[in-house]
Amino acid sequence: MKVILHDLDRCYDEVIGAKCDRAIVADGKYAPCQGCFGCWTKHPAECFMKDTLQQVCRIIGQADEMVIVTKNLYGGYSAAVKNVLDRSIGTSTPFSTYRGRQMHHTLRYGKHDLWKVIVYGEISEAEKRQLSVRWRRGMPSTTAMNGLKSSFWTT
Amino acid sequence: MKTVFINCSPKKRFCASAYFLFLQRLFVVGEKVCEKLRTPADHARILEQLRDAQAVVFGLPLYVDAVPSHVLRFMEEMERFCRENGLKLSVYCVANNGFIEGKQNEPLMQNFENFCSRAGLTFGGGVGIGGGVMLNVTRILFIVDIGLLVLNTLLSEINTGNLFPRDAWISFAENAALLLYFNLGVLFYLARQGGHIRKGTAGGKKYTRILIPSFIFILFADIFFVIISVIDGGIFRGWLAKKEPSET
Repeated sequence: MKVILHDLDRCYDEVIGAKCDRAIVADGKYAPCQGCFGCWTKHPAECFMKDTLQQVCRIIGQADEMVIVTKNLYGGYSAAVKNVLDRSIGTSTPFSTYRGRQMHHTLRYGKHDLWKVIVYGEISEAEKRQLSVRWRRGMPSTTAMNGLKSSFWTT
Repeated sequence: MKTVFINCSPKKRFCASAYFLFLQRLFVVGEKVCEKLRTPADHARILEQLRDAQAVVFGLPLYVDAVPSHVLRFMEEMERFCRENGLKLSVYCVANNGFIEGKQNEPLMQNFENFCSRAGLTFGGGVGIGGGVMLNVTRILFIVDIGLLVLNTLLSEINTGNLFPRDAWISFAENAALLLYFNLGVLFYLARQGGHIRKGTAGGKKYTRILIPSFIFILFADIFFVIISVIDGGIFRGWLAKKEPSET
């Protein structure tokens, strides 16, 4: 399954919808993660907040190919995209292990075949450098959590 | 000198960020204002506090390798506010994560550096703390230890008239020393950063952690989650299963 998570305008819905099996629109209207760990300890892989992101971790977790299209914000994801990712930690389990000589959570769904991030918008040299350094290192736990075969592009 | 401390944890109580900000405040002098950032309704109030401040300290947890989304929203608004009003603040942060390596906070620190660069502010540095949740538990254990000491002292006074039960005090001192040891790295770097906040200088990015071996930490973290999952019931609801989405 190919999943695209993006924060683009809704006018791109049709184009993006045709390029994937599932599109997740980060429109910035979702409630942020409350840090309760309930998606690990109470109702596994499900958020207690009953909105369209309630089971988003199950969709992201099952994606063979994950593509994220995000506006650059301080050398990272936009707030809207980050909101969706914050709400998707149920892709991992509460158990910990070592990966890349660091502690990480074990994966509920295993690794993805592809994890690609496309960054658009104004981006400074320092931010571009940060993104490339992070990506060369494997984007610490985002990719460690979701798979390691990753890459990023700036537009 | 006015310093604004912003607790960015979305949790209402018992959050690790509040604990570390409390420790950071101990090493800062002058006017200290504490604010809580949980929702967009908090933005205007906090921004008003920044008008006449010289420094701002963000206390926040690491979410998925970076700044939590509700804090990013605030930073976007703060960037506009600072540029429009020509504010020249020094920005510091105290970040904590659940994993043991404080170094995992590095991408978050870089986000703050880039934010300062765009907003025309000075990035004063930050302390990245590993094992934040477990360190937060140590403060709860310390309070429990104090409670036990008071109880033992009262019982001793009532039963024997002795207001200084030696064994209880020794036991309290041993426990307190152990808890202090776990926090030593954090205290050192927060004290150091406190000095920089006082002087308005940049201290750079520093990383520390709870002072126990990581394999012991992982063992305790796993036990912690098993216990919580039994209490919450998640362990009986397909705890580690590859759940399918129920909606289409």
